[in-house]
Amino acid sequence: MARESCAPADRRTVLAALGSGATVLSAGCLQRARNLTGWQSTQPITLQIKTLPADSDPYALALARQIASWFQAAGIETDVLPMAEQELMRQSLLRAGFDLFVMRLPEKFRDPDALTTLLHSRFADAPGWQNPFGYTNLDADEALERQRRTDGAERRQALEELQRTVARTQPFTLLTVPDDIRAARTPAGPNWQAIDLRSPVGFLRLAGEYDSESEAPVLRVVSTDRRPTTNLNPLAVEFRRSGVLTGLLYDPLARRIEGELTPWLARSIDVVDGAPPTARVALRENVTWHDDEALTAADVAFTYDLLADTTLDDDDEDADVPSPEFRGQRSLVDDVSVVDDRRLDMTFADADRAVVPRALTVPILPEHVWRDRTDTAAIGGIPVGTVTEALVSNNIPPIGSGPFAYVRNTPRERLRLKHIEGHFSTREAADFPDWIAEPAIDALSVQVVGSDVTAVETVADGEADVTGTTVGAGTVPRIGRAEDVELLVRRSARPYVLGYNTRRAYLDNPRFRNTLARLVDERFLGQHVLDGYARPAVGPLQGTEWYPADLEWDGGNPVVPFFGRDGEVPVGAVREAFRDAGYQYEDGTLVGGSR
Amino acid sequence: MTLLTVMTRVVVVVFVLHLLGLGAVWRRTGTTLRRGSIRQNVRTVGPTAVALGVLLLANGAVRDVGVELSWLIGVNITGTIHALEGAFVADLQSLSTPALTAYFSFVYVFGYVFLLTFPVVLYAIHHDTRPLSATLVAYALNYGIGLVCYVLFVAYGPRNFMPGAVESLLFTNWPEVQHLTSQVNENTNVFPSLHTSLSVTVALLAARYRRAAPGWLPVATVGAMSVAVATMYLGIHWLTDVLAGVLLAAISVGVGARVAEDEHGDESSPTETDRRPAGGVLEQLRR
Repeated sequence: MARESCAPADRRTVLAALGSGATVLSAGCLQRARNLTGWQSTQPITLQIKTLPADSDPYALALARQIASWFQAAGIETDVLPMAEQELMRQSLLRAGFDLFVMRLPEKFRDPDALTTLLHSRFADAPGWQNPFGYTNLDADEALERQRRTDGAERRQALEELQRTVARTQPFTLLTVPDDIRAARTPAGPNWQAIDLRSPVGFLRLAGEYDSESEAPVLRVVSTDRRPTTNLNPLAVEFRRSGVLTGLLYDPLARRIEGELTPWLARSIDVVDGAPPTARVALRENVTWHDDEALTAADVAFTYDLLADTTLDDDDEDADVPSPEFRGQRSLVDDVSVVDDRRLDMTFADADRAVVPRALTVPILPEHVWRDRTDTAAIGGIPVGTVTEALVSNNIPPIGSGPFAYVRNTPRERLRLKHIEGHFSTREAADFPDWIAEPAIDALSVQVVGSDVTAVETVADGEADVTGTTVGAGTVPRIGRAEDVELLVRRSARPYVLGYNTRRAYLDNPRFRNTLARLVDERFLGQHVLDGYARPAVGPLQGTEWYPADLEWDGGNPVVPFFGRDGEVPVGAVREAFRDAGYQYEDGTLVGGSR
Repeated sequence: MTLLTVMTRVVVVVFVLHLLGLGAVWRRTGTTLRRGSIRQNVRTVGPTAVALGVLLLANGAVRDVGVELSWLIGVNITGTIHALEGAFVADLQSLSTPALTAYFSFVYVFGYVFLLTFPVVLYAIHHDTRPLSATLVAYALNYGIGLVCYVLFVAYGPRNFMPGAVESLLFTNWPEVQHLTSQVNENTNVFPSLHTSLSVTVALLAARYRRAAPGWLPVATVGAMSVAVATMYLGIHWLTDVLAGVLLAAISVGVGARVAEDEHGDESSPTETDRRPAGGVLEQLRR
């Protein structure tokens, strides 16, 4: 029919054809053009993985490239973009500007309640390590809320359900759990194998057992992470990795010592059961800040107020700006009221008694320093955005109350802290283990070097006592060859994860993510990228008492098993799976409807 | 071994190379040191030298600022470069032997510093001012344009992008050097390769003013080529960086020589018998 042939069949040329004037612009013809433009063309699916360069992290880039090659085998155009750690965290955790990232999860997510801020949909818009994936799942939300209010078998059941949901819907794919490898100088004295260098308390232990002939012994740490030399703000998301150094500068009410949450800045903490639970906290006597101001109950109450809203604005009209870094802990506290100079009453949120003590581990900040940081941050006097100075200040020099105080820093190169004489932890009455009460060092220095190899060589040359950041498996023979150097290998609690931005097209589909996860051979990554210094895992809580038996790694991932074997992707099976999920292939490339 | 020992070693080795170089030049040409030409040269190129000095100082001072600015406004082109050239550097490294690694490491650290400093000394004692002036102007252009590129483009080198495929040969065999390199540069500053551009600049100037120092041209050529290959062989730079470096060198030398000859005259040149060319980079280089 004449009308049928008035426009070319290829809808991509509809506009061109209309524009060329070659066709007669009859009403019927325009109608047909309208009909055609309602149909979207298919487009190739492309993904980008953001991660760290090899200098900053020994494995992240190799992991990302291996995953990219598996995705490419499945017909998905995937590229890898390396960037500095600070920039990666800024782009992925603050601005949600990523498709995929490869990073290590912070250690705090070994605590089941911490998963609330990581996965609850309420935090999908919040910055920092608060649901960076934009994951929204009502089943997961419900399970997270339930585990907070229950205990025993009920809580366990809620957490098991949560983990099964997460394992199936894959907001992130757990790649592998690396072993933390470090090099340490044997003559420095301590029983290195017993020291846990992932926590401030571990460093206190090291400080207590350090052996030196010197008059003024200095514990020398070499690190590949330069960020602490430019920023010591415990609230600054993109500058914190483990919080060890800020943990030495600032004191929390309670610290985990030898597995037990022990009153630290508090002399005693009496938690009273109830709905909600409450606690009476008594602070230690004669505690001062590093600038000799007295630390009082008002500072503690101020800290909890500041963490809830760094603007400290009571006005409900303005939006709150909570501290992302400690939001999980803070969300467990309803109210903190000052009883007197040394005593406080805390009312917790509606949560179980077993859950709430986590709220006591936030660093206590001095009111006289931080009260001035509640204004909107400004550059050259001009306010920028809504973020407060408290969250972006570099906080140098930091004024804390911790056992170590700031001495000096050389940006990108060095940081030096000194041990405070007469800190309350060294008083006899405090009754801490000897290694806390009798520190053997005067100062702690951090030296920044360019890569893990150089860090190991610095220890081998006797210029440093231990590598503060972990090093790659490739340096193990080097550590073995060096004289007086010990190899420290510890299981870590910080898995590498492939995080999906579920706000993006295609990645918002759980079935698509589930199929992507089946393109990842965790065992292969552990053996070939991490040289066997790793173990595969399914969920971040693997190895804890909260982990369901049916999610145990059993020769393979029980929920999203790898399609192939030994790192080989069987293209046929993969295409079949993506077609089942509703996607198509054109010339070997995975395509989806354009959106 | 600390930063200080690495630096001391570089200074000593380069000093020895200078003595050997000067000895060779004197033996070959029979010229003796002319105090007069040094004084006159220093006086005439003074302003250029000061400008270069300021630029170098500024380079050190604003490096941190440059990195911050670069993350703020720069484009991350690591993926683009890799897409352009693929695994060229990995293929190059597959030819590696311990002897080659030792040679290229030596060239990258000591040879490079010698290559950059020797012509300054060589041309300073020469009676013609133009080679020295052109060299200083060309160096300044290299640094200046390089610095702007480093702000505009963020890129990691192959050793950072392809661990496993490309080994960081320099730093794994000689980790102490990283104390030095991390003092003078950032691992995101790879495009273009200033190692290549400055070395090629030296070679092009040697070709242009070959009569000023006979015998220097082959040394500079071999040296520049070795440095260019070394940056890739050691996994530090991409082929793209090296090519961009060569282009930067050509531009710098073209402009540098032009400026020198405009300022210090072109006629009655004892080193050059050709007439003054009309212009253009290629034309400039051909001389």
